[in-house]
Amino acid sequence: MLSTVLQQLVNGLTVGGIYALIALGYTMVYGVLRLINFAHGDLCIFGAYIGLVALGSGAGSGQSHLLLLGGAFLLAAVVVGAAGAVLEFSAYRPLRRADRLSAVVSALGASLFIENGIMLIWGPQLRVFPSHLLPSGSWNLGGARVDLVQVLIMGGSAVLMGVLYWFVHHTRYGTAMRAAASDQDAARLMGINVNRVITSVFVLGPAIGAVGGLFIGLYYRQVYFTMGWTYGLNAFIAAILGGIGNIPGAMLGGVLLGLFNAFAAGFVSSSWQEAITFALLIGILLLRPTGLLGERVAEKV
Amino acid sequence: MSRTDNPQDAVSPIELLRLDGVGVRFGGLKAVDALSFAVGTAQVVGLIGPNGAGKTTAFNLITGVYKPTEGRVRFDGQDITGWAPHRIARAGIFRTFQTIRLFQGQSVLNNVLAGMHLRTRQQWWQGLLATPGQRREESRQRGEVMDLLARLRLDNLAHEDVASLPYGVQRRVELARALIANPRLLILDEPAAGLNDQESAELNRTILDVRAQGISVLLVEHDMNVVMNVTDHIVCINFGRKIAEGTPEHIRNHPDVIEAYLGKDDEEAA
Amino acid sequence: MKSLLDWLTRPWVGAVLWLAGLAVPLVLDQTWVFIAALFAVYAIVALSQDVVLGRAGMFDMGHAVYFGVGAYVTAILNTAYGWSILATWPLAVLAAALAGGLIAAPIARLRGDYLLVATIGFNSIFILALDNNLGHITGGADGLFGIGVPSLFGLQAASQNAQFWLDWVAFAAVLLLIRNLDRSHLGRTFYYIKHDQLAATTMGVDTRKYRVLAFALGAALAGFGGTLFATLMAAVSPGAFVFTESVTLFAIVLVGGQGSIPGVLLGTALMFVVPQAFRDFAQYRYFVFGIAMVLIMVLRPQGIWPRMLRREAAR
Repeated sequence: MLSTVLQQLVNGLTVGGIYALIALGYTMVYGVLRLINFAHGDLCIFGAYIGLVALGSGAGSGQSHLLLLGGAFLLAAVVVGAAGAVLEFSAYRPLRRADRLSAVVSALGASLFIENGIMLIWGPQLRVFPSHLLPSGSWNLGGARVDLVQVLIMGGSAVLMGVLYWFVHHTRYGTAMRAAASDQDAARLMGINVNRVITSVFVLGPAIGAVGGLFIGLYYRQVYFTMGWTYGLNAFIAAILGGIGNIPGAMLGGVLLGLFNAFAAGFVSSSWQEAITFALLIGILLLRPTGLLGERVAEKV
Repeated sequence: MSRTDNPQDAVSPIELLRLDGVGVRFGGLKAVDALSFAVGTAQVVGLIGPNGAGKTTAFNLITGVYKPTEGRVRFDGQDITGWAPHRIARAGIFRTFQTIRLFQGQSVLNNVLAGMHLRTRQQWWQGLLATPGQRREESRQRGEVMDLLARLRLDNLAHEDVASLPYGVQRRVELARALIANPRLLILDEPAAGLNDQESAELNRTILDVRAQGISVLLVEHDMNVVMNVTDHIVCINFGRKIAEGTPEHIRNHPDVIEAYLGKDDEEAA
Repeated sequence: MKSLLDWLTRPWVGAVLWLAGLAVPLVLDQTWVFIAALFAVYAIVALSQDVVLGRAGMFDMGHAVYFGVGAYVTAILNTAYGWSILATWPLAVLAAALAGGLIAAPIARLRGDYLLVATIGFNSIFILALDNNLGHITGGADGLFGIGVPSLFGLQAASQNAQFWLDWVAFAAVLLLIRNLDRSHLGRTFYYIKHDQLAATTMGVDTRKYRVLAFALGAALAGFGGTLFATLMAAVSPGAFVFTESVTLFAIVLVGGQGSIPGVLLGTALMFVVPQAFRDFAQYRYFVFGIAMVLIMVLRPQGIWPRMLRREAAR
C-alpha cells in the first residue's frame, strides 16, 4: 500500500512539474492580457516535436547524449519562444482594441492552425523518441520505482521555476512584467514599454512550456499532435487552481494537479479520472474561482 | 394621478425613503459614514457636497449596487437594506447615472422602451410565438413611449441613434427611460452636468413637473442654479458624513457648507 | 456594398431564398440534398448558440452538449424503447432545455472567462459519460445506430428528399422563432444583459434569471437540432458532440457576426457545408479553419456580416 502511495507521489510530482511549466505560460499571458491563450498547449507540444527533430538528426553524430539533450532543449525553447512572439504579433496584437471575444476566437484559430500544422508536417500517427538517447536507469524507493527521467524532470522543473520566480521578483524586467499585469495604464505612464513586456511574456511562457513539452516526450517516449490539447487543458486547470495570473499559483497548481491526477488514476478507473479532473475544475470555479493563491490580472482598460 | 403637495411643506411630509446611519467601508476606507436623512412623498431632495464626498456612493447604496456595512435603508415602510438592484427597482426606485448609461447604437425609442421592462406583461413564450396579445402590448408600449418623448420634446429624435446625439439630449433620454418606469422615487446623479443654461432651466421645469405628478426626486448636483431652484430640502455631506441639512436658504448660508466647498480661511491655509 | 447588404436583409429576400431552397431535391443530386439537410440542422444549432452567445452575451463554449442531449434522447427512446420519432421530439427538447438550465444555474453568475472554462468542463464530462456508456444506454464510443425516421399517420419521411424537406421546414420555424425573439421583450432583455448589465439591473432586470433562461432556450433549440440530426444520420456517436464542435459553433457566431441571422447562416455554410463539399481535403479542414478564424478576426473583428440594427419604425 505504501509503495503504491509512494509511486503515485513520484508519478504525480513528475507530471506536476510538467503541468507547472506549461501552466506558467497560460498564467503569465492571462495576467497581462486577460486572454486565455488556447494555442499555448499546442506550442508546448511543438517544442516536443522540435526536440524530437533535434535528437533524431543528432542521433548518428556521435556527440555525447548529454550534449544532444541539452541542445534539443535549447533549440526547442528558442524556436517555440520565437513562435510565441510571432503568434502574439499576428493573432493577438491586432485585436487589442477589439471585443474580447474576437481575441478568444483568434486564439482558438491559432490553436487549430498549430495543432493541425503539426499533424500535416509530422503525420497523425504517434512518433517515438529514439530510446537510446534517453536517460535510463532507476532506483527503488520504498517499493516505488523512481526513474532517472523522472528525477531529471522533477529537478529540471524545480530549477526552471526557481529561475523564473527569481526573474519575476528580483529583476527590473520581472518587475515591469508584474506592473503591466497589475495596471497597464499606470505601467505605461511609468515609462514601461508595455508592448515589449507583452512580447517577452509570449517568448518566455512558451519557451518554458516547450521544455515541459519536451519533458512529456522524454517521459512517455512518444508524442502525437493532439497532446497539445490534453496537456494544455490540464495545465490550464492547474493555472486556474493556483489563481490565474499568479505565477507561484501556477507552480503550486501544477504540482497539486499532477498529484491529484496521479492519485485519482491510481485509485479510480482511469476512464473516469478525466471526468473527475473536470469536476474538480468546475468545483473550483464555483467555490473559489480566484484560485488558491488568488488571481492577479490586468485591470481591463 | 396628479397630486399637488404644497412644495414649501418640507417639514413633515410622509416619508418615502429613509436612511438610518447608513455606511459602507471599502477596505480601510469609510466612503459613507452614519448617513441619515429622509425623502418625503412628492418632495425633491438635493444631496450636495464637494467632489469625492461620497454622494454617488450613497446613491449606489440606496439602489443596491453596494451593500451597506452599517445602517438601514427603508423605502415605503419596507427595509430594503442589502436588496439586489433589480428588487429595489421593482419597489419603485429608478435612477440615472453620472456617466450616461444608455445603449449606444440603439435608437432613442428603444432606449426609453428599456425602462418599461417591469411594466411588461408578456411572457417569454408569448414573445417567441408573437401572439396577438403580445403584439398589442408591444404597440401600446411604443405609443406610450412616444407620448412621453413628445412631452419631453424628444419625439422628433425617436429613431435616432443615441450615440449621435449631444450630451444634453442623451441626459434627457436617460431621464425619460427612468420616468417611463413609473417610479415612486427618482434618483438623478448629476443630471445637469454638461448642460447649458437653457437646458438647465428646462431640466428644472422637468423636475418640478415630475414632483407635481407625485414622484419624489433625490438628486446629486453641483449646479447651484438647479439645486437652489428645485429642491425642497438639501442634505450636504463631506467625507461621507452629513454636515448640514435644511431648506435651500438655510444651506446657502451655512458656515460648514461654505467651508466644505471653499476650504478653510486663507490664514489657516498658509 | 452597403446598399446590397441592405437590400439582402429585406424580409422578403430571406423568404424567397428559403422557397428556392425547397427546390433543391428537384435540381441537385442526392449528395447535395444531404448536405443541404445537414446545413439546415447545423444552422438551427448555430442559431441556438447565437441566442446564448450573440444575443445574451454568455460565453458558452460547451453548446454541443445540448445538441448531443437532444440527439441521444431521440436515439435511445427510439432504438431501445421503440418510441416513434415524432413522439421523442418533445422529450428531447425538454431534456436539452433542462440540461441547459441545470448547467447554467450554478455558473451563470461567473465572470465571462470563468463561465467559458466551466462550459468546457461540462462538455468534457458529457463526452466522457457518453464514451463510458453511462447507464449502459449510450452505446459507448461507437454510439447508437439504426435510428428510425419520423412518421405521421403512417406516412414516413423515409427518403433523403423527405428528410430534407422536414429539416428545411424546421429550419424555417426556428428562423421565425428567432425573428420573433428579436422583436420581443425577452429579446430586448437579452440585449440589455449583454450590453450593460448594471444599467439592466437598475431597470429591474433579474439578470440571473434571464441568463439561465437564455441558456435553457438556446439548449432547447440545440436539442431540437439534435433530434433532427439523429434521424438524418440514422446514428449518433459521441464524436459529433465533442469540444471541437462547440468551438466550431462558437466560432461561427463570432466569424459570422454576433446576433446576426444572415451572419450566422453564412458562418454555418462556411464551416459546415464547405468542408462537406471538399471531402477529399478533409485532413486540411481544421488547419484551414484555424487560419480563417485568425484572419477574419484580425481583419474584421465584428464578423463578416454584423448585425445591422434596423431603424425601428413606429408600429
